[in-house]
Amino acid sequence: MAHQWGMVIDEDRCTGCEACVAACHAENNIATVGDHEAARGRAMHWIRVERYYEGDFPEIKVKYRPVPCQQCSDAPCEPVCPTYASYHNAEGLNAQVYNRCIGTRYCANACPYLVRFFNFFNPVWDKPLDLQFNPDVSVRSVGIMEKCTFCIQRIKTAEINAKAEKRPLKDGEFNPACVQSCPTGAMVFGDLNDPESRVSRLSRSSRGTTLLSELGTHPKVTYLKRDTWHNGQNA
Amino acid sequence: MALDACGKPERQLIRFIPEEELIPGVAQWKPGVCTQCRAGCGIEVRVMEGEAEVTRHGQVGLLSMGLAKKLEGNSSHPVSQGGLCAWGQAGLQVTYNPDRIRFPLRRSGPRGSGEYQEISWEEAIKDLASHLPSAKPAGKAAPVAFLTQPLRDHRGVLIEHFLAALGAPPAVKFEFFEQTVLRRANELSFGHYQLPTFDLANANYVISFGADFLGTWNSPVSQNRGYGTMRQGRPGLRGNFVQVEARMSQTGANADEWVYAKPGTEGLLALGLAHVILSEKLRPADAAGQAGAQIDGWSKGLADYTPEAVEKSTGVEAARIVRLAREMAAHAPAVALIGGASLAQTNGLANALAANALNALLGSVGKPGGMSFTPQAPVADFVPAKEGLSVRALCEGILAGSAPVEALLIYNANPAFASPPAWRVREALEKVPFIASFGSFVDETSILSDLILPDHSYLESWVDNIPESGTTQAVASLAPPAMNPLHHTRAMPDVLLDVAHQVGGDVGKALPWKTYQDVLQAAFDPLRSHPGSVSAKAADDFWSEVQSKGGWWSAGIKGSPAAQAAHRLPAPAKVSEPQFDGAAQEYPFSFLPYASLQFGDGTHANLPWMQEMPDTISTAMWSTWLEINPQTAERMGIQQGDLLEVASQHGKLQAPALIAPGIAPDVVAMPVGQGHEHYGRYASNRGANPIKILAPQAEPETGALAWASTRVKITRAGKKGELILFGGGLREWPREYRHR
Repeated sequence: MAHQWGMVIDEDRCTGCEACVAACHAENNIATVGDHEAARGRAMHWIRVERYYEGDFPEIKVKYRPVPCQQCSDAPCEPVCPTYASYHNAEGLNAQVYNRCIGTRYCANACPYLVRFFNFFNPVWDKPLDLQFNPDVSVRSVGIMEKCTFCIQRIKTAEINAKAEKRPLKDGEFNPACVQSCPTGAMVFGDLNDPESRVSRLSRSSRGTTLLSELGTHPKVTYLKRDTWHNGQNA
Repeated sequence: MALDACGKPERQLIRFIPEEELIPGVAQWKPGVCTQCRAGCGIEVRVMEGEAEVTRHGQVGLLSMGLAKKLEGNSSHPVSQGGLCAWGQAGLQVTYNPDRIRFPLRRSGPRGSGEYQEISWEEAIKDLASHLPSAKPAGKAAPVAFLTQPLRDHRGVLIEHFLAALGAPPAVKFEFFEQTVLRRANELSFGHYQLPTFDLANANYVISFGADFLGTWNSPVSQNRGYGTMRQGRPGLRGNFVQVEARMSQTGANADEWVYAKPGTEGLLALGLAHVILSEKLRPADAAGQAGAQIDGWSKGLADYTPEAVEKSTGVEAARIVRLAREMAAHAPAVALIGGASLAQTNGLANALAANALNALLGSVGKPGGMSFTPQAPVADFVPAKEGLSVRALCEGILAGSAPVEALLIYNANPAFASPPAWRVREALEKVPFIASFGSFVDETSILSDLILPDHSYLESWVDNIPESGTTQAVASLAPPAMNPLHHTRAMPDVLLDVAHQVGGDVGKALPWKTYQDVLQAAFDPLRSHPGSVSAKAADDFWSEVQSKGGWWSAGIKGSPAAQAAHRLPAPAKVSEPQFDGAAQEYPFSFLPYASLQFGDGTHANLPWMQEMPDTISTAMWSTWLEINPQTAERMGIQQGDLLEVASQHGKLQAPALIAPGIAPDVVAMPVGQGHEHYGRYASNRGANPIKILAPQAEPETGALAWASTRVKITRAGKKGELILFGGGLREWPREYRHR
């Protein structure tokens, strides 16, 4: 059976440190657009940390929520694409084929999670910042939609290596850049088709929930909601 | 995807590569040591073949070479344990920064103009050596000063050797968010002049007095690791976390219970909690030992710190103090942390001593789930340097003519940017006849230099680090260069050795090593006889294994518990209320600068990834802002993004308003890091620098700058400021509050 890649993000562990955001930029050759473009809402962050306030000073509560592409099983971004640039691959990812994309931006319009980003201009890297490019990831140009891929380049590398060594992939053998960098262990990645994988077990947690589940998109990212303190015991 | 098409690439591609072991398309992982903050995390560097435009022997050409492509945490390293923070991730942009200085420079225009011309390394070293005395002057110190960032490595050791050989005073260490107050408090309470390590993973109750321990403070990656385990890593058990502060920080936002206390009264609250624990006999009174003895009135049960009295000064209700005290006493192991603004007050040392005494009373010192001190790896010749002369004293001496400096050497310290105007740093430095800088970038301080000898980046150099905190094992991290240098630069310690040999005489003899690599090999050799992570015993095998593992760490040593303190205050500390600069009537707001998650003290402001990374609390990018309480903003008619003028008795600045629900009505806060004049294309002339309006008030015992003790007034500048937000959510706040 093919893998079904999924992720669990524990809001009780996440501290909002943004290591995932920086790691994603470094891994995926995401362009820095600069202040002028960022002010027009054109900054690109495949993963972001959302911050929610509740209550009034001084009884303030805050919740952090890292949001990458939810890799929906019934993804609103896919059927709207006239060129099949956004499509569903065999391992459950909402993949984006950059050289099919003609920049209609229908997919970004359809995505309820706002995780798709459009290249309004050709990205510029002041030399020698171009040397930081990850050679496993293509650089996107003007008119192209881009998004979180669950670091498909790492998935492919791990699968190829395992195949060459004639062995199955081990749970936790590789991780997307955000998961690997996360210092609190708030993010767990793995195969949802393996009922014993860590990500499968955690996604069945009683704290588990998905974003905007009423839309029926069936995301493959499960959020574990913040726990509360009851005299030292888990709620 | 090349990998998809080719299968195993190394079998299929023709090997034609100048760098011996590199195979195109195949990544190599090399050990590294992160230098983006002082924590000393072990990292791994992903090196791949690429083509770089490099300068070799004055000629620019395209070279196929190994290039660092990605940084990750080293999973076997005791501090990072596989994690890496945002600053660490952005480390690539230090090496590949377009504003790096690429070759040695000599000033060609007027001082401060930034006009330089390229010179050769031979000339540069000769020039520097010619400005140094060749023999120790009799009876007085040589007029040479070395201004550096605090270093936890043998670069720092080498600098001290160099200065001692010249007969010059020890190096002047400078960083804006200095930790002198906490080190001094730990020395008094626990006998360790050192930052503490917390075993958060095993704690059941954590109370932090203003410490941004999940963001920028102390050893963030290891503290985040421990915190994650405390929350959800122990089946059936989840620790509680209480944060006490006046402005909700990124760390405080994670708290189960967030407690607002008036700025600078954190120590009073700690003693209020201790009072309840003592009076209700929840813990034995003598448990606090020496840490308790440092506090006035401890043996009498802290009679002056009843919950009612503490409520008056801190603003925390008496009933809540009683409840919190009972909770923490009932949920051992409980641990208290103190840091940041709580210590940057005129009563900062007393606040720290109070938190230390509370920790000791809770029985958490040297225990699992509590705090301890990282044992220092027994490398040769490493003495964790005490704070030497302060920058402030250095500048006073120069300006008054009482301690003139003929030659000043600067290494990655930027006091011209990060000091209050009353210190007159720039004015003092301009009086120094000769200044040389080893930094990789031109900043507000190094632009005054006459000679620039640019260092390699940390990915291009031998790097070592003895962590001060963040682990209960003794650690000595080490890494050889992960890649060849891109530019015509040289490692600072190697230049220092060359200069010493050029000066000759006793100076040359005092530094007998040829290269920094020799220094490190000699320094690490004594570790061979200690049980640890490196199994090889023969000298050469040991040395190569240390390099391949990214360092040495001890086997199973537990953190050091409290030791007998050698020093005492003349009288036990009385925790009093803090003194602020500026009368409350005229300057109604407490002004709270804080370490930015993006830029720290401003060092990372030249990294575009950090500029565009949204700040977690505000989601702001490429900006600075002034955080203001929603009700206060409404009362003053201030809307999100309105440009405000912020004035203290020492200066004024302009910044856009950010309506922040988590800040007290009479406090305004501003991140440090922007407002650079000279720091490359990404940082220069962007936003404002809050340090430039700070009062020069100090904590009296240590002389450390009390950077959270300035009061300000605010007026509207009458237009919108530049506030770039990634998140749209905050935009709705002002309207919502108007309808209340």
